Amino acid sequence: MSQGLSLEGVDFSYDASRILSGIELSIPAGQFVTLLGASGSGKSTLLRLIAGLQFPERGRLAWNGQPIAGPGLERGVVFQDYALFPWMSVVDNIAIAIGKARPATAKVGRIAEAKDYLSKVGLESAIGKYPFELSGGMRQRAAIARALALGSPLLLMDEPFGALDPVNRARLQDLVLEIWEAATPKKTVVFVTHDVDEALYLGDRVVILGSTPGRVIADLAVEFPRHRDRRTLFTSDAFHELRESIAETLAADTLRQLVAA
Amino acid sequence: MSETLALETPEVSVTPTPHTASEPSGTLINGRLQGIFEASLVWIALLGAWFAAAEYLPLGANPLIPSPAVTARALWESLPELWVGTLSSFSILIPGFLVATVLGIASGLSIGSSPRLQRAFFPFARVAAPVPPTVYIPYAIALLPSFKLSAIFVVFIGAFWPIFQNAAAGAHALEQRYRDNASILGLSGFEFQRRVVFPAALPHIFSGMAVGLGFSFILLTVAELFGANAGLGRFVQYYADFADYPKMVAGILYTGLITFLAMTGLEAIKRRALFWQR
Repeated sequence: MSQGLSLEGVDFSYDASRILSGIELSIPAGQFVTLLGASGSGKSTLLRLIAGLQFPERGRLAWNGQPIAGPGLERGVVFQDYALFPWMSVVDNIAIAIGKARPATAKVGRIAEAKDYLSKVGLESAIGKYPFELSGGMRQRAAIARALALGSPLLLMDEPFGALDPVNRARLQDLVLEIWEAATPKKTVVFVTHDVDEALYLGDRVVILGSTPGRVIADLAVEFPRHRDRRTLFTSDAFHELRESIAETLAADTLRQLVAA
Repeated sequence: MSETLALETPEVSVTPTPHTASEPSGTLINGRLQGIFEASLVWIALLGAWFAAAEYLPLGANPLIPSPAVTARALWESLPELWVGTLSSFSILIPGFLVATVLGIASGLSIGSSPRLQRAFFPFARVAAPVPPTVYIPYAIALLPSFKLSAIFVVFIGAFWPIFQNAAAGAHALEQRYRDNASILGLSGFEFQRRVVFPAALPHIFSGMAVGLGFSFILLTVAELFGANAGLGRFVQYYADFADYPKMVAGILYTGLITFLAMTGLEAIKRRALFWQR
């Protein structure tokens, strides 16, 4: 079995309504995939299935050939707005992840390691603080630090910057790319978003989910060279062409839905 | 389910500060002063009414409403005795309340976070919890070797149910995001209880403890009527038997003050423990 993530014929229903239908997806290790779709396309649900927080009605999900039977430390998750425990300091939130991932680490070592991860995401100033003392952007930085601290080769990100203002959002996108590009071996990333620009800026590949039920309606390679520059990329013709075709695909799906209704 | 489970929890609010959040910060001091002013009006009015009643009502030689001055003197003279009574009462209240807190939290959290245990225990809890704990007093006295142990037991029963029910409701209501977070990190068993369920349920637990502490004082003073030789409830009953109304009223006021201080102390602990809640 190949290295990476594979989904075969995945169906999922909730309260008798079909959320996901016949999802086939194969993601090689080290790829950065963005999962793009309108709200209601089941993209977050799909991520929860990969995380092992929910189980499919039919179909198979596997990571490196191993069926996914529940949450596992090899799959780290960054949620949209609630990644940290509010009653633990930021350092403790990360130290607890280190304690679970590497139980042999002594307490002092966990704290020291947690501080390293926090400075990696530019949060040295927040080390002794609690989540309620941080801005939304800082909280998401801490959440990323925690996912990194788990050391998971697969990183699942569920609209992690959806609640942030544009400036912070751009900064954190750059941070994620910087970390991903610097790591060897590369982490596999599945990044859920409903923002086309974000999907194109971050991904090696954009998988588009259509709505009701959620299914893969397009799977595009994004071949812009890495170490992308936001300004030159966003003004390039190739970017605009891809952006337009994605917008058309999404619009056609919306239209199909309206006609069906 | 948590609705039917949670006991009615009256908010224990200590001196309301009547200023709204929308007020600009410059008027905050004014708002606070205004609050103190308005609250003191009520105190002055009550004290005035007490004065007037003691002064002008024809109450006879040993008035049932002793004047504030007479009561204050009685209070001053009784302070050593009241102090001994306080120690005696607290030697019942504290063990009863603490055991209720520990067992209430431990059982509430473990039952509240397991659907199976909920199905097993909630029907029993729903029947047993509403029984007025005072009805256990005679039986407890007959059953247990000493009065003190019986009183501790009764205080325990009274404080246990509200703490248990609120802890269970808090564990039951654990938000999905915390569950997800815990699963992602691989937290389970006791570690999950200690680091996630317990802190998340703390707001509920403190509500239960406030109700439980109120019940504890009620049950303590009632139990002391049955056979104590010292204590706050016993003090009031004793001087009522001798028609020493100044001391009796002094005892009531003193007990009220002690109860208020205990509640305020719990409230302060709660505010410290829940600092992370904004």
